[in-house]
Amino acid sequence: MMVPLDTPMPRSQSISMASVFERYGLMIFLVVLMTVAALASPTFLRPANLVNVLTIAAPLGMVVVGQTFVILVRGLDLSVASLMATVAVLATAFKATTNEAIPMIFIAAIALSAVVGLVNGWLVAKRNVSPFLATLAMMIILQGIRFAYTGGAPISTLPPGMGFLASGRIFGVPVNLITLAFLAIAFGIVLHRSRLGREIFMVGSNPKAAFLNGVAPDRVVILCYVICSVCAGIGGLFLLGYVGTVSNWVGQGYELDSIVAAVMGGVALTGGRGNIFAALLGVAVLVVINNLVLLLGFPIEMQLIIKGVIIIGAAAFYRTRLA
Amino acid sequence: MSAITVDLRRNRLMLSYLIVAVLLVLLAVAGGFLSDRFLTWRNIGNLFQQLIVLGMVSLGQTFVVLMGGIDLAIGSLVGALTVFLANFLEWRPDLVWLALPLALVVATAVGALNGLLTVVLRVHPLIVTLGMSSIIFGGTLMYRKEPGGSVPRAFADIAYAKVGGIPLSAIVLVVIFALAGLWLQRTRTGRSIYFVGGDREAARLNGLPVDRIVVLAYALSGLCAGIAAIFLTARTGVGDPRIGAALTLQSVTPVVVGGTILAGGRGGVLGTFLGVLLVTMLNSLLNFVNVSSYYQWVIQGLIIIIAVGIHTTRRR
Repeated sequence: MMVPLDTPMPRSQSISMASVFERYGLMIFLVVLMTVAALASPTFLRPANLVNVLTIAAPLGMVVVGQTFVILVRGLDLSVASLMATVAVLATAFKATTNEAIPMIFIAAIALSAVVGLVNGWLVAKRNVSPFLATLAMMIILQGIRFAYTGGAPISTLPPGMGFLASGRIFGVPVNLITLAFLAIAFGIVLHRSRLGREIFMVGSNPKAAFLNGVAPDRVVILCYVICSVCAGIGGLFLLGYVGTVSNWVGQGYELDSIVAAVMGGVALTGGRGNIFAALLGVAVLVVINNLVLLLGFPIEMQLIIKGVIIIGAAAFYRTRLA
Repeated sequence: MSAITVDLRRNRLMLSYLIVAVLLVLLAVAGGFLSDRFLTWRNIGNLFQQLIVLGMVSLGQTFVVLMGGIDLAIGSLVGALTVFLANFLEWRPDLVWLALPLALVVATAVGALNGLLTVVLRVHPLIVTLGMSSIIFGGTLMYRKEPGGSVPRAFADIAYAKVGGIPLSAIVLVVIFALAGLWLQRTRTGRSIYFVGGDREAARLNGLPVDRIVVLAYALSGLCAGIAAIFLTARTGVGDPRIGAALTLQSVTPVVVGGTILAGGRGGVLGTFLGVLLVTMLNSLLNFVNVSSYYQWVIQGLIIIIAVGIHTTRRR
C-alpha cells in the first residue's frame, strides 16, 4: 500500500524484517502508542474518548489529503491554515441563520479555495516561484484580507446545521469522519488508480521525463494546488462548525501539522513518493500523541516539543529508508 | 563562456540592487509628499532605531539561504532568548556582562545544532528548523506562558543610545553588515558559503569541508538572532515567548526582496540591507498614512511575490 503503482519494485524482493518494518512501521508505531495510552490511562479506550479523538482528527485529515497532492509534486502549501480561517470568515459573511444557506456556503467556500489554489499553482508552475514563498505570500495576503473584513473581532452567525456537520453523529459515527472517508477514498482513487494520479507521481519523481512522455507538468502541478486548497477549504468549514465561532485564527498550526502528518506517513518531500492512506495514518498517530499528552496530565506545550521531535525523527527515518 | 555567465550574474544582482534602491528613493519622495513629518530627522532616527531587529534576523537568514538552506527557527529562538534575558536580568540585574555573552553563546549553539541536524540526519532544512522551532517554542512556553521579567535601566538604554546623534543600534547594524559583506566576498570561508549554496556536490568534490560550512552558516544565523534578541529585549523591557512568532517569515522577505535566490549560491548582504530598509520604510509610511496593519500584511505578501517574480528567470 505504501508503494505507488508506477514505482519500480525495490531491488531485493525477499521479505526481510527490515522491509516489514518499513512498510508497516507507522502502523506498528500507532498500535504501540495506543497500547501505551490504554495502559497509562483507562479513559483512552473509552468509546467517548476515541470518538472525540477522531472528531478532532477529521478536519486535519481533510487538509492532509490535499497537502499530500502538493508534496507529491515537490511542493508544499503553507497557506492551508490561513485559507481555513478565511473560508470560515466567508461562511459567516452570509449572516445566515437557516440551513438553506449551507449549500451556498459550501459552493462559495469551494470556489474561493479553488481560486486560491489556482493562484498558488500558477505562481509555482508558471512563474517559477518556489512553493515555500508563493504559499507563504498567499498565507499573509489571506490573513490581511480576512482581518480587514472582520476588523479582528470574532463572529458567530452560523446556520445551526454547520454544527451538526462538524460534531453530529449518524449511527454513532461522526459526520465529519464519514465526510473525510468519502474525501479520502475519492481522492485516493484519483491518486492511486487513475491516469491523472500516475501523471502526478511521474511529475513528482521526474518532471522532465513526464514532459517527454506527453504529460504537461504545469497543468498537473496547478491541479494539485487546487485540490490542496479545496480540501483545506472543506476542512475549514468542518473545523468552523466544531469551534462554533470564527476567531480569525481557526486552523492555526494546521499547516505544520498537515506537513508533519504527511511526512510521518512517508510522503517524501522530494516528491513522487507517498500514499494518501499512509498520510492519514500519520494524522492518527499525531492526534493519539496529542491525546496521550493530555491524558498523562503533561502540560499542553509538551505537544509542541513532541511534534518537533517527531517530524525531524520521521523525516530522518524515511530518508534512511530511501538510501 | 564562464566569464560571461559570471558577468551576467553580477549584472543581474546589480540590477536588483538598483531596482530596490530606486524604490527606496521613490518611497522617500512619496512619503515626503504624503506627510510633512515623514522626512524629518526625528522620524528617520526612529526608523533607524527600528532597523536592528529585522536587520539582524534577515542577515542571519541571508547566510543560511546563500548556503542553500533556510532557517525557520529564528523567530522561536529570538522569543526564547528574550524570555531568558528578561528573567535572568530580573533575577540578577548586576550580571548584564554575563547575560549578554551567555545569550549569544546559547543562540549560536542552537543555530549550530540546527546545522548539525541537517548535516547528520540529512533531512531537509525546512523540516529540521520547523521541528526545532516547535521544540524551542514549546520549551519556552513550558517555562513562561506570559510576557514577564524586567531589565535594568542601563541595559534598556542601549536600545535608545545615540553616538553623535546617530542611534547606536543603527551603527551596530551597519558595521555588522559591512563586516559580513567583506567576510563573504573576501575570505575563503565566506566565499565557500556561496560555493556550497551554488552546487553542494561540486563543493564537496573540490575538497571543501561542506558539512562544517553548513553548520557555520546556521551558527551565524543563531548568533544574529541572539544580537536581535538583545536589542529587542532592551527596547521592550520584557521577555515574551510569542514576540518572535512573526519574525521568522519577516526575516525571509528582505532576503528575497534583495535579490538573494532561495535556492542558494546567489545574492548578497547588500541586497538584504536594502530590503530591510525598504520593508521598514514602507511599513513606516503605511503607518503615517493610516493604512491598517491588516493591509500591510496584504502588501507584504504582494511584495514577496513581485520581488520573486522580478528576480527569477524562467527555467524552460
